[in-house]
Amino acid sequence: MNRVLTLTKTLLRDWVRNREAVFFALLFPLLLLIIFSTVFAGGPTEFEVGVQNNDVTSTGEPTELSATLITAIEETPALEPHTVDSDTDLEGIENVEEATGHKRVVVIPDGFDARVRSSSARVRMAVIEDTVNRFQGDISPGQQQDIQDALGGFETEGDASPVSVVLLTVPDDEAAGAVGSIVDSVIARFNDRSIGIEDPTVSKVTEQRGQQALGAADYFLPAFIVAMILINGLMTVPSAVAQFKRDGTLKRLAVSPLRKHEWVIANVIQQSILAVLLSLIMVGVAWALFGVTAIPGPVAIGLVVIGAIGFSSLGMIVGALIQTPGSAISLGGAIALPLMFISGIFWELDLMPATLQTVAAYSPVTHFHRSLREVMILDSTAGVWTTAVLLLVLAFVFFAGAVFLTNWQSFES
Amino acid sequence: MGSKGSRTVIKTSDLRKEYGSTTAVDDLSLTVFENEIFGLLGPNGAGKTTLVEILQGLRTPTSGTATVLGLDLQENLYEIKDRIGVVPQSFQTFERLTVKENVALMADLHSDSLAVADVLEELDLAEWANVPFESLSGGYQRRTGIAMALVSDPEILFLDEPTTGLDPAARRSTWEQIERLPEMGTTVVLTSHYMDEVEYLADRVALLVDGQIEAVDTVAELIDTFAGAVKLVVHLTDQTPETEEKSLATLLEESAASVYRNDDGALIGVFSDRQTAQDVYTALHDLGTGHSIDLISPGMEDVFLELAGQSLTPEGDLE
Repeated sequence: MNRVLTLTKTLLRDWVRNREAVFFALLFPLLLLIIFSTVFAGGPTEFEVGVQNNDVTSTGEPTELSATLITAIEETPALEPHTVDSDTDLEGIENVEEATGHKRVVVIPDGFDARVRSSSARVRMAVIEDTVNRFQGDISPGQQQDIQDALGGFETEGDASPVSVVLLTVPDDEAAGAVGSIVDSVIARFNDRSIGIEDPTVSKVTEQRGQQALGAADYFLPAFIVAMILINGLMTVPSAVAQFKRDGTLKRLAVSPLRKHEWVIANVIQQSILAVLLSLIMVGVAWALFGVTAIPGPVAIGLVVIGAIGFSSLGMIVGALIQTPGSAISLGGAIALPLMFISGIFWELDLMPATLQTVAAYSPVTHFHRSLREVMILDSTAGVWTTAVLLLVLAFVFFAGAVFLTNWQSFES
Repeated sequence: MGSKGSRTVIKTSDLRKEYGSTTAVDDLSLTVFENEIFGLLGPNGAGKTTLVEILQGLRTPTSGTATVLGLDLQENLYEIKDRIGVVPQSFQTFERLTVKENVALMADLHSDSLAVADVLEELDLAEWANVPFESLSGGYQRRTGIAMALVSDPEILFLDEPTTGLDPAARRSTWEQIERLPEMGTTVVLTSHYMDEVEYLADRVALLVDGQIEAVDTVAELIDTFAGAVKLVVHLTDQTPETEEKSLATLLEESAASVYRNDDGALIGVFSDRQTAQDVYTALHDLGTGHSIDLISPGMEDVFLELAGQSLTPEGDLE
């Protein structure tokens, strides 16, 4: 055991003095944490949209209802409207962006106010008529007749056909769908008001039932702790092992009484100590910059240690099989990076296609960062014990593989 | 402190190592005694490194047996590793650690060890103790390697090409360190392709060619047996007429055991006794040829030439 502790101390010293290793192991995940948490922690996204109002009075003033619609658009937080001059001819235009400088433009047609009023009156009369019919049991036949006569006395003036507001977009506008939905909801609200139902009898109340809403840093802190463990275990470790093998340091150790399993254990302990220390640093940074209150208790630290044992053992296998540091880091990266991408380290799994979500469900990395989030952020242990067992099994298999595959003889000269 | 003894510390019997169809060590048997400096001399690829790596437990022999310090190599590998020291040919260690930290690491990996400060003092490394290994010159790196090997107070020290790549001053300094080791009770197995190094340091030398020992004995005995007693060298020039060259060669052949030309064009006569060589030397001087003439004692280079049939290049390859 003394030999293991001695070597662990040596490896830690060597690591601390290795600037490249410190950058990759600590600063790189920290930078990712800061960048991702900052980028995704911003307020609601605003979509820029042009608005052209062709429904103006003879004096050039917007008609009342077109102005109401524009106000509704302006009051929508997700939209950032810009006025497009009504003199700009958008009829039959080929490229709206070239003509207006906007990728999407809402066009309010000429006669909008008049047609909405005609259509609205017709709708209101239809509603009254329908209401009378529904409640005819409560109204005397004489009263019913009076109402029918009064309604028949009204005649809608002008064109009462539905009026369309046009949303012009360019083909490569990825936000066109989202903006279209927002404009739909604005028009629906406008329609309600235009027929005078200011206070609807049926309303919708939204309640959250499910997981606590997470901020970006809440999501990314556990994710990047796992990323740090993967980068260290699968990229730094193989590269260091291959370098020690190449420059003869490993051969020098192999002619001492040190056993090869002690060499593997010392590396794994070194990585576990680093993983815990670096996790605490990341928690501190997340607290200082983003106000994340994640207190890593024994369960979280246990998960971090088991994960570090597993992935650093896998890294020892890669280092044992590969001769040069460059190739070792490439192979380690080829394992670590796809695992991180597919396991929702950089984005929530809900944003991924269904097929990839299915694949992600089988990735131990997915369960690792989810469980870490449960214990560190949500103060829950849901699924954590299953993850711990899964990681323990992997750690055992990879550790045994690392001891078996590490070459303690026949070094290349 | 030790004195050269008769206790066997290394013994191999019919040791063999094959790599596919290549035989690196060919049924090799040798004995190394306590407190001697035992030289393994041979060209690159002769099997020197393979042999010592088998003795260090870094390679498994294909067949044959080996004991180190009276212990079977296969059965007592880690006990043997605890009692030997090794300075590999391409020596490297944790480069960001200081000299002292690297030496302390080796002390802690062995069950018994000397005080690190004492070893550093002994090898004139005390003032470099806190310098990172990567900042040292080649000579001091090699010296650190020796300190790392000696700190466990080994009974046998394996030195594989200990002065390759060192400048003459560092080389001489390393020799002085090695020379003192038997007095400290350490047997040294020295692997080298440098004739002068082996000749200067080794008590006994085994000459390896193609995985086999061609000869093993003290340096003096090897020279006496295989290289003759004295060499007479006539330094010819490009302007030396062919007839004169022939007559000089004939003169030498009349009394020398053998006559040959070396790479520099010198005419060399090897004599079995010094008196005959001295007589020929005087006769040549009296002739007044004007050529520079030297009378020199033969060395391991001549032994090697005699046994291997070829000389060695400075890089250790056969010419």
